[in-house]
Amino acid sequence: MAETLDEPSRIPAPAEAALRAPKPTLFAPEGAPSPAADAIIRSCGFSLFYGQKAGVKNITMEIYPRRVTAIIGPSGCGKSTFLRSINRMNDLIPGVRTEGRLEVNGTDVYDPRINLPNLRQQVGMVFQKPNPFPKSVYDNVAYGRRFQGARSRGELDEVVEKCLRAAALWEEVKDTLHKSALALSGGQQQRLCIARALATQPKVLLMDEPCSALDPIATGRIEELIATLKSDYTIVIVTHNMQQAARVSDRTAFFCLGELVEYGLTSTIFTKPAKKQTEDYVTGRFG
Amino acid sequence: MTNAPLTPEPTTSGRRLRLRGLLDKGFTLLAGGAVLAIALALLVVLAPMLWRGASAVVFPGTVEFRRMQLSQFNRGDRVGVAVELGEVAEARKPVYALLDRFKRGIATDDLKEDARRLYREFGKQLDGRDTAAADRAELRSLAKRLRDDFTAALETTDKAAAQAALGRVLQNAEDARLKGTVAEGFFAMARDYGRIVETVDLGHRAEYAKALAEVQESIRGLFGPPPNAERPPLVMDQYGATRWDAAEKHLDRLLTAETWVAGGPGETLQRVRTPREQQFAGTDLAPLFPLVREHVTKMLQPRWAFYWQYFIDDSLSGHYFGGVGPEILGTLLITVLAILFAFPLGVIAAAYLVECASDSRTVQLIRTCINTLAGVPSIVFGLFGLAFFVVFLLPLFGLPQGSSALAGGLTLGLLVLPIIIRASEEAIRSVPQTYKEAALALGAGRLRCFLTVTLPAALPGILTGAILSVSRAAGETAPILFTAAVAMGSSSWPPWSALAKPTQTLAYSSYHLAVGDRLASLVPHNQYGMVMTLILLVLVLNIAAIVVRSRMARRLRGQ
Repeated sequence: MAETLDEPSRIPAPAEAALRAPKPTLFAPEGAPSPAADAIIRSCGFSLFYGQKAGVKNITMEIYPRRVTAIIGPSGCGKSTFLRSINRMNDLIPGVRTEGRLEVNGTDVYDPRINLPNLRQQVGMVFQKPNPFPKSVYDNVAYGRRFQGARSRGELDEVVEKCLRAAALWEEVKDTLHKSALALSGGQQQRLCIARALATQPKVLLMDEPCSALDPIATGRIEELIATLKSDYTIVIVTHNMQQAARVSDRTAFFCLGELVEYGLTSTIFTKPAKKQTEDYVTGRFG
Repeated sequence: MTNAPLTPEPTTSGRRLRLRGLLDKGFTLLAGGAVLAIALALLVVLAPMLWRGASAVVFPGTVEFRRMQLSQFNRGDRVGVAVELGEVAEARKPVYALLDRFKRGIATDDLKEDARRLYREFGKQLDGRDTAAADRAELRSLAKRLRDDFTAALETTDKAAAQAALGRVLQNAEDARLKGTVAEGFFAMARDYGRIVETVDLGHRAEYAKALAEVQESIRGLFGPPPNAERPPLVMDQYGATRWDAAEKHLDRLLTAETWVAGGPGETLQRVRTPREQQFAGTDLAPLFPLVREHVTKMLQPRWAFYWQYFIDDSLSGHYFGGVGPEILGTLLITVLAILFAFPLGVIAAAYLVECASDSRTVQLIRTCINTLAGVPSIVFGLFGLAFFVVFLLPLFGLPQGSSALAGGLTLGLLVLPIIIRASEEAIRSVPQTYKEAALALGAGRLRCFLTVTLPAALPGILTGAILSVSRAAGETAPILFTAAVAMGSSSWPPWSALAKPTQTLAYSSYHLAVGDRLASLVPHNQYGMVMTLILLVLVLNIAAIVVRSRMARRLRGQ
């Protein structure tokens, strides 16, 4: 544990160095400082326990800004647990305990003095099932912004339009802003949830299987959206769908049984994985 | 063997299918029957209540009703009522004439008093006159003789003796000395009484007197106090039958005498109904009965009345006349107080139980206590309210120690608290976890998450609990028996000005009217009317709450 703390980028760094050559354009331009230096999320030997049972064990990885990072792995491997650890959504479960260090923007999120609402506004989240509030479309998007202090109608209107446009939903709902969000289709609802998460101006967007409840067309739209959001946000996406991971992500982490097996460029993970376990999983022989 | 489960024998399958169909049909039938039974029970219970209760509002009202409305509530067509009153007075005149005439022969106390008065006046007249003392003494003794003879005629039950006594009075009729004096009144009275003696069987005078009292009572019930009589102090005595159904009862008592006679040893009493015409056959009073029977509509002029003011009027003479306005206001007042008290408290308690409390032993104990509280008899709440709110708590805040709407509202609030807590708990628990997660993920604190997301989503369910509590609170009698209720009084406006005062409520007044006194049998329409009003009030409150709730739920569902 102490070892990993001293050398936070031990696992990802060599993998990245090795995989830089085949697809350099995906990454920071040549000559830019090492991406490891400006990682936005840094996990050092992070473990989370539900009582005695470990949810994730000793995860050490770095997630880079303005990139899409996919987390794949078989069911129950701890990928959602890790994702929810980043904005401390696991706090809702009684008896949760953590070890190690998990930093966002250089701040330890498990520091007892942390401002939890502030963290969650910095690290937005989109859930597996679309979960808009039973309120109007407008109120859904404005929800987070309202208690950030935005009270004036004009400011909120602006935020709502901007976020809905960013979530590629504006054209579809601009005439029904004050109708209930539950009247939207599933895909629209999920994009609304993304817009809602964007409204608090997060740096990071966590997506927990955002397309698992959607049809292929809606999934396509969400994936397009992820591609456009990448330029402004750091996106971490958990997915069961390996094609999706391959399509949308820049880097992929493979989790198994609560441990990080392999982490690297997506192309490498899917074409030349370093570990047998990863290869078995991505080729469908296991999991 | 392996195929058997997949392709069973067709006959078995057919039989099984039929059995399954039969079972399905049986179940459907049973469920339908249960629903039908409930509907029928509701109909059987509610329909007569509402139907009879409606007669408090829509009924044939007599001229007495219009007179009462005009003089007590200053309502109605003043000129029209005056014209009507003139007409009915004219129609009733012969009735009173007949009564007066007959009364003289039966109720002789008045005549005796008249005779004594005449004698005294005659004495005074003599003193004022310029006559010799001897003459004066003689005249005085003559007058005394006249008085005593007349009194003797009144007192005897023997016809011949009475006629002889009257004859002795009348033989002085030509006495010149009495001409122009008040003593002439003796002769007029004697002649009058002589005529009555001809027709009335003096031997049965006591019976006649009793029957006459009944007749007079019935006439008073029908037409109110006789003309020229003093205005009775009680409002309920100032008017005759205001409703046609009441008039018919009085009419029946007027036209038929009812007596109970023993059939024989060991047998129960038998009711015997005799027409009054037969009872008074041959007397001066006999024509009265056919007269009233045939012209009663002319004497009362019944007409359909729509007395919607029943719902706003104060009651008069303890619900004999008037409406249930104060009861409605009082019921609403204490119900609103109860909800104002119990709703926030209940929702907060439920929120705590669901959101904050862990599933510890203490919390389980609290939950058990709440469930037990829901089963405590309401009279226990009433006594608790008396001991705690009325005697202890409210006096601490300077309120007089006595029942008040506030104390009643608080007691009812305690009564409905468990209902609200349980309904709210269920509603809050059933809000999807995903809503809470979404709010928390957006950086909302727990309180904000509860207030902005969980509570609005749970509100339809919470309102269901509130609706149940409203019905319960509005209909309860026992908890307010000692804490808030009073039977009489007028409405106070605005309602909150009555917070520190005891108040009337529909439930309590229904009870009071039923057990209080003989009034219940006199005003059955009022009892039904009160119950109907209570049912309607609860219905209206429920419908309003259901409309609000369904709108809210629809908005939540996004339609």
